[in-house]
Amino acid sequence: MNALIISAILGVIMMFSGILLKQKSGVRGIAIGGLVLVLLSNVLEMNGTHFFNVNLHGMMEFDHFSLLFVSVIIGAMLFYFILSARDMEKVGGYYAEYFALLFFILCGIVLVTSFKSLLILFLGIEIISIPLYILTGSDKRNLKSNEASLKYLLTGSFSTGLMLMGIALIYGATGTFDVAKMKLGLSEQPELLAIAGMLLLLFSMSFKVSAAPFHFWTPDVYDGAPTVFTAFMATIVKAAVFIGFIRLFGDTFGGMAPKWQFWVAVLAAATLFIGNITAVFQQSVKRMLAYSSIAQAGFMLLALFAMNQDAREGILLYSVAYSLATIGIFAVLGRMNDYTFEGFNGLARRQPLVAAVLTICLLSLAGIPLTAGFLAKFYMLKAAMAAGTQFWLVIFAVLMAAVSVYYYFRVIQAMYFKEGEANVTVSAGFKTALVVLAALIIVLGVAPELILYWLYF
Amino acid sequence: MNITQILFWLLSVTALFGAMMVVTSRNPVYSVLWLILTFFSISGHYILLNAQFLAIVNIIVYAGAIMVLFLFVIMLMNLNKNAEPTRGRWIKFAGAISGGCLLLVLVAALRSTEVSSKSVQVGVGEIGLIKNLGRELFTNYVVPFEISSILFLSAMIGAVVIGKKD
Amino acid sequence: MKNILELAYLVPLFPLIGFLINGLGRKSLSKSMIGIIGSGAILASFVVSLLIFFQVKGGNTDTLNYFSFIRAGAVNIPFAFQIDQLSSIFLLIITGVGFLIHVYSTSYMHEEKTEHFGRYFAYLNLFVFSMLLLVMGANYVIMFIGWEGVGLCSYLLIGFWFKNPEYNKAANKAFIMNRIGDLAFLIAIFWIIGKVGSVGYSEVIAAATEGSKFTTTDITGITILLFIGATGKSAQIPLYTWLPDAMAGPTPVSALIHAATMVTAGIYMIARSNVLYSMSPLTLNIITYVGLATALLAATIALKQNDIKKVLAYSTVSQLGYMFLALGTGAYVAAVFHVMTHAFFKALLFLGSGSVIHAMGGEQDIRKMGGLNKYMKVTHITFLLGCLAIAGIPLFSGFFSKDEILASAFGKSPVIYAVGLFTALLTAFYMFRLYATTFRGSFRGTHEQEHHLHESPSAITIPLVVLAVLSVIGGFIGIPEFMMHGGHKLAEFLQPIVAPSAKLLPVHEVSHSTEWILTGVSSALIIGVVFFAWNKFSRKPDTGEATGFGKVLANKWYVDELYEKAIVNPLAKLGGFFNNIFEKLVVDGLVNGVGRLVSYSSRQLRLLQSGQVGSYVLLMVLSILLVFVIQFFLRK
Repeated sequence: MNALIISAILGVIMMFSGILLKQKSGVRGIAIGGLVLVLLSNVLEMNGTHFFNVNLHGMMEFDHFSLLFVSVIIGAMLFYFILSARDMEKVGGYYAEYFALLFFILCGIVLVTSFKSLLILFLGIEIISIPLYILTGSDKRNLKSNEASLKYLLTGSFSTGLMLMGIALIYGATGTFDVAKMKLGLSEQPELLAIAGMLLLLFSMSFKVSAAPFHFWTPDVYDGAPTVFTAFMATIVKAAVFIGFIRLFGDTFGGMAPKWQFWVAVLAAATLFIGNITAVFQQSVKRMLAYSSIAQAGFMLLALFAMNQDAREGILLYSVAYSLATIGIFAVLGRMNDYTFEGFNGLARRQPLVAAVLTICLLSLAGIPLTAGFLAKFYMLKAAMAAGTQFWLVIFAVLMAAVSVYYYFRVIQAMYFKEGEANVTVSAGFKTALVVLAALIIVLGVAPELILYWLYF
Repeated sequence: MNITQILFWLLSVTALFGAMMVVTSRNPVYSVLWLILTFFSISGHYILLNAQFLAIVNIIVYAGAIMVLFLFVIMLMNLNKNAEPTRGRWIKFAGAISGGCLLLVLVAALRSTEVSSKSVQVGVGEIGLIKNLGRELFTNYVVPFEISSILFLSAMIGAVVIGKKD
Repeated sequence: MKNILELAYLVPLFPLIGFLINGLGRKSLSKSMIGIIGSGAILASFVVSLLIFFQVKGGNTDTLNYFSFIRAGAVNIPFAFQIDQLSSIFLLIITGVGFLIHVYSTSYMHEEKTEHFGRYFAYLNLFVFSMLLLVMGANYVIMFIGWEGVGLCSYLLIGFWFKNPEYNKAANKAFIMNRIGDLAFLIAIFWIIGKVGSVGYSEVIAAATEGSKFTTTDITGITILLFIGATGKSAQIPLYTWLPDAMAGPTPVSALIHAATMVTAGIYMIARSNVLYSMSPLTLNIITYVGLATALLAATIALKQNDIKKVLAYSTVSQLGYMFLALGTGAYVAAVFHVMTHAFFKALLFLGSGSVIHAMGGEQDIRKMGGLNKYMKVTHITFLLGCLAIAGIPLFSGFFSKDEILASAFGKSPVIYAVGLFTALLTAFYMFRLYATTFRGSFRGTHEQEHHLHESPSAITIPLVVLAVLSVIGGFIGIPEFMMHGGHKLAEFLQPIVAPSAKLLPVHEVSHSTEWILTGVSSALIIGVVFFAWNKFSRKPDTGEATGFGKVLANKWYVDELYEKAIVNPLAKLGGFFNNIFEKLVVDGLVNGVGRLVSYSSRQLRLLQSGQVGSYVLLMVLSILLVFVIQFFLRK
């Protein structure tokens, strides 16, 4: 609750800071300071300090898992702000407003991770989506950005429609929005209405996490959106929606798992396949990352499929590993002139440190041991294995992970093994943040307990 | 079949027909007009459910304010001709057929569902009255009610960011 | 005195520190400093390994748990090292040979720029670190981490001279082929987790012998998958073609990674899991035939190669095949023995060839050499000793290990023995073709090259001498039982490792008199072939273009071409299909979209609506439809 209210207030403050402050660095300072405040308040809440006492009527529940996840997300967002906030200046003239929208998205993230009523889930998803439509189109003079925004809005509305229809059908079957009172799946034969509603919710959530075959918007939108905002969408938002996805299917529909587990397995396989195979043929690193984010979503779907304790730990680790690595890559990508693979040729020669950090991030995404990404993938596969029903899915996922190595290594190869003129201008602070990021990836790859410990604390 | 049932079917048919016409009309102005018809018939449903307040609000906000805004936009941008670009014929057919199939499948699947116990309580419910609605909104549902302000706020900022000239 | 085994963590720690210092300081440190740090780190590891070895020899083995690496649910995977007879032998080989090659490299790579010099040593140290992790880990996950690590370093080092695109291609090929193997390895690990709930060697072996957790199918499946993993790393049919291409890397790298250590990881893995393998006769048979076929095929290819390093590369593939043959016949000790002797003489041969290439100014074609014995005394003699060892001339190290493998093969089937012996004869032939063409006869290179010929500096020759001594005497730790009772010290030492599987697998006893006969016959034949090849190629070197069947051999049985046609091309076509049909039709690349947008910018808005978005939604609706139909009407 602390994080929700404070970030909402911060959103409003950011709106006004644009009028009151002339210096962009001042706006940025408020945003970063504010985010630290949110993080602190959230950590305090984990330790039992509540600033606000609100009667929630059972619509939200701030349990340990959701608080921990929100802390992790805010931490990732802090990295994002430090690394990429400066790049937002280049997008357009509404610097403060972008921050306001990002803080509102954070509110939505808190809602999605802690909902106990489908109403709150819906509100959360919409509070995340609408600012994203705007941020996608924020580079107004760029046709690609406009196109992406419109595509996102149209397809997104479609998925919103599916979600509403699903919630309506669930309401029809149970007579309540309240997750605790639904008691789905207790009877032998679940009601058809509930199954139909559950499937519709499955589709709309799949859309939001860009799982195939609901992923079509992703490459266009990620490619068209300004790179800073693509980074935000592809990492923080995606991870948060995944937690909502898991909460929805673990808690609300947990009783009818046999009805949806098979479909999640199919979705995961399709997502892994399309994401990885198509990523191989991309010429632009940005577009490759869009497909890679689809592929990684396929891996995260394994957690949903397994839905056991391993999966909960795994998804936490996975969101951290994936978000950190992708934020790092996008932060550098945002400063490159040329987004193609050739654009990275010879980067290692001019910016050895940046190239080394990028390499660590890419290795983590590819799941090479001693990085967080390896353990995250390992947990996912182990969870899926423990679920026990679909062994083929595990094998398929391993195969696809092997394919993914190819396109991640293309970037490494370009940086180290090719001659070229690639260069970026980076400040010392940026470099420090990158190094901290890389160190975190390695540390988590060696001792994941550092994060998982808090899950049981 | 009593008068309420006859009204229900009548309003449903009108709403669906109106919605179809919104999609198929070539002239955007006609689309908007059909949409207004749809909103009116939905308001009729609200009245049947004894939710007069919702019915009035629906007409004032949607059919009144928002639709007028739409009409203004269309007229100002001079889109009132049959300016619809030629979209692929196959995609129209495919869309219509797949949409129709989805409807069929859903209807066929859910046909057997037993909903009588929970079916709409036409004309007897009191929840839609302004007093009850207000009480619900400010007691049990106050949290989502307040939270939706964030949604509107972000939409407002979005309108500024997108709409204002650089 | 404190238990030395507690210090085991130092063994991989030193190379890691070396890697960090050299990696970070490659611009600021001087070359000699980098060389000292790089070699010193390995020397320190070697000293600790020696201490550990003597502890282990005294019967002191241990599993050291450091911290809990992965803990979730019931599965707990500790970060632990297992120090026992098998791992201590490998520690000695890796750090010992590794140290010599580091010393050699300080001279061999001296012409590189300081920055590249530092990078080279950093990679080399990182490789040693990963390789040590691989052999020291107490469970399959740690082994896998090391496994991936050595693959990565091998990739980086093959592509070290990245300016040459051919080298880049070789690096990629090595990486991809290794990934195929790694994949199988990973699946095997998950299979084991699924069945046992643990990946520690002791737990897995206990579960296998106790018998309730594994069915025969499980064991066969797991062992085959692990073996596929081994074929990738240890270059066996069908995944062997990367190794000869990997010779693109600097020669010391070929010696360390692609001859002495990394490529034997597969043998280590199977020796480590010997109990599982002994329980699956089917897998053992597969290994036998794959090993035999690889040994023979690679030996025939080596007959007609003219690049000095290529000959050695195919010879390595062939010798690795030999080791797998040993594993397949259940002679795990013989396999480890051959790993060790092979590490000595093959490292020696590679380093010797590096010395030759150095002297020839980068020339690798043996047709342009000849008569080098006059110019490079030390290199010549050590190389000759290496050739004698690999050919299996009696009392040289290769003789003992190869003989043991052949005896074990004879126990399984005389046919396998015959093919194995034939391969050994081929080995003797091509090695002495290589030796005679390079060092005998008269010099065939340019005048300038002849003028340039010189013996290499001592940083190069000293490792050669040490390795030559080891190649000569290294075999005496494994004198076969029929020659000297209790002579096979290595078998005694490794007894605790292979004892459980010895119970499972009947050993084919061959009587001592038969063994004498076999050894006599094979030695006589080999010596004959050596004389024949020596004379033939000293007098008239094989310098012409190959014709007829020789051409097939020179072209490596056209295996690369076959792979190109049968696998790479169809894959590329499939890729093209996805790229063209799928991408164009379904996603309709943004490039087109934008292109049209620009030209019809006035109507962009509506074009979008009618264009792709419609098809996106249509496809989503179709998928939803499909799911509903299956869910409600087909999945009752």
